[in-house]
Amino acid sequence: MSEVSLQHIEKVYPHSGKKKSNLKVTDEGVLAVQDFNLNIRDREFIVLVGPSGCGKSTTLRMVAGLEEITRGELYIDGKLVNDVEPKDRDIAMVFQSYALYPHMTVRGNMEFPLKLRKMPKEEIERRVNQAAEILGITEYLDRKPKALSGGQRQRVAIGRAIVREPKILLMDEPLSNLDAKLRNQMRAEIIKLRQRINTTFLYVTHDQTEAMTLGDRIVIMKDGVIQQIGTPQEVFDHPSNLFVAGFIGVPQMNFYDAELALDRDGRYVVHMENVQIIPSEEKQERLRSAGATSQSITLGVRPEHIALLGDGDNMFHGVVEVTEMMGSVVHLHVNACGRDSIIVAQTANLEGPTPVTVKVGNTISFIFGGNVIHLFSKETGRNLEYSEHA
Amino acid sequence: MNQRMKLSNRIWSIVMTIVCVIYMYPIFMVLTNSLKVESAISTGTAFELPNAETFAGLANYENAINAQGFLSSFFYTTFITVSSVLAILLFCSMFAWYITRVNNLFTRILYLLCAFSMVVPFQMVMFTLSNMADTLHLDTPWVLWVIYLGFGAGLAVFMFCGFMRSVPIDMEEASMIDGCNPIQTYFYIVFPLLRPTMISVAILEAMWIWNDYLLPTLILDIQDYRTISMLIQFFKGSYGRVEMGPMMACIMLAILPIIVIYLFAQKYIIKGVVAGAVKG
Repeated sequence: MSEVSLQHIEKVYPHSGKKKSNLKVTDEGVLAVQDFNLNIRDREFIVLVGPSGCGKSTTLRMVAGLEEITRGELYIDGKLVNDVEPKDRDIAMVFQSYALYPHMTVRGNMEFPLKLRKMPKEEIERRVNQAAEILGITEYLDRKPKALSGGQRQRVAIGRAIVREPKILLMDEPLSNLDAKLRNQMRAEIIKLRQRINTTFLYVTHDQTEAMTLGDRIVIMKDGVIQQIGTPQEVFDHPSNLFVAGFIGVPQMNFYDAELALDRDGRYVVHMENVQIIPSEEKQERLRSAGATSQSITLGVRPEHIALLGDGDNMFHGVVEVTEMMGSVVHLHVNACGRDSIIVAQTANLEGPTPVTVKVGNTISFIFGGNVIHLFSKETGRNLEYSEHA
Repeated sequence: MNQRMKLSNRIWSIVMTIVCVIYMYPIFMVLTNSLKVESAISTGTAFELPNAETFAGLANYENAINAQGFLSSFFYTTFITVSSVLAILLFCSMFAWYITRVNNLFTRILYLLCAFSMVVPFQMVMFTLSNMADTLHLDTPWVLWVIYLGFGAGLAVFMFCGFMRSVPIDMEEASMIDGCNPIQTYFYIVFPLLRPTMISVAILEAMWIWNDYLLPTLILDIQDYRTISMLIQFFKGSYGRVEMGPMMACIMLAILPIIVIYLFAQKYIIKGVVAGAVKG
């Protein structure tokens, strides 16, 4: 059992003279992490994701014990560990830079944490060999790190972390130094690894694809504040605000200005240009329970949820400005409703390949259903499906 | 373009060769004179190479080694150099590690003090220093390293700090998570990483301490302890008579170990150890 609980964790850096992006500044200093609350269950895979400077690495380092916690409490298995040394927290960490010890062989690197714990020789041998086998680095055990490629070094770094069989495995952007192909491969390896070892994972990344594919739950952060915590599906389907909506999903969600109104039957209706969209029953229910009122809104629609249709009434029209052929889909950049929109058009259906015939300069018509729209308050950016105090 | 490059390369080669000769010639002169008989070393004949009549073989060297307690001087010098260099390497690297990693006003002041100490000439402090060394009984070769540690610290800390700043802190953090206490982190991780700088510092400090004349003369009791550079002075006898031959031989013997160490350690200075530790 290894549960981690972060309660009202805050990190304040004393004024360093440099003004940092959008972080909140108080008399005390710069607030890098604000009121961070999260309960991590045993064997859960949590991903912290957000743009650079959002405090995700700082949070991870506070869990590791490399940064002091300014305020709040950190519990590992019910034990308060705020002032416990990193070595006594029973955690392991994989660094972005791998942080291998250059003067030791791969075996030396992996043995190091075990030797420090004065483990018997046979046990060390067994664990190192086992970890090496899981990661496929057995043949490199006697090499020095500099004789390895980036992907191999990353495996060694992971190996050094897992031989310990720690309560929590912390990973700080472990894949961002790898090239795209290797990154995809290693991502799959981490998923496999996760099935083989019983550990709680805390993983930091700025890549939303990694977050979506790896995490049981995702914590999205911005400017030191948690924006949303949820499963990948929840976060994708019900983003809590404009930031999350824009951050999760590739290509980015399209945003339009619209009006939310209630019709005579008490149903919510969205008016945009001359088109009327009625949110689905599920959305109606959520809006109602959140107490949404008539107001100006920002309407969000994911590019892949937009349907291209022939001409018709009650539709949007726009001029195609750029087409990007991605293989299985084509991204159309369309100027419609006074904004640039991206539409993802499939190049195949059940009948076989259907080449998209749209060319640059064509005028096209498109529409989206009431089940795929996201309604955000124009003032605060909050998703109207969530009540103000949620 | 290519032609011009070749020409400038050639000019540089010539200039550098001349500079090299200017630097090497005094040593060469000492070497040739150390092989000549006493009577053939004078102001007029110093530039001549030894010939059949003036060649003395290794007689001067024998004289130098046998007379004047050369071996004990050699031992004292070696002991002082080795102990001082070891002390400088250990304490200064630890100190530099601390002040690089703990960044606050106090450590910045310490760093500036170290850098400043390089600017203060020895002559400014030598009188008070020798008094203090007497009071504290630091006037024997066995504890002279304490004084050399103080004088060597400036340069060593400066060099270690420069290198330490380029070493990513990730490795030390990794070792802390792996279970090291700070002392273990230092000896298992930082010390090996600093090896290239250690060697450069060791060579620089060793050359200076080995050749140093003024400091041991002021502090050590001349009757009991003589370093090699002090010993050379003793070939100047009374009434201005100088035993030139053995003196030249003694100088050669004094230079030799440093040259050997330098040649041996040269390749380690260039070799980087950090390569491959982090992304690269």
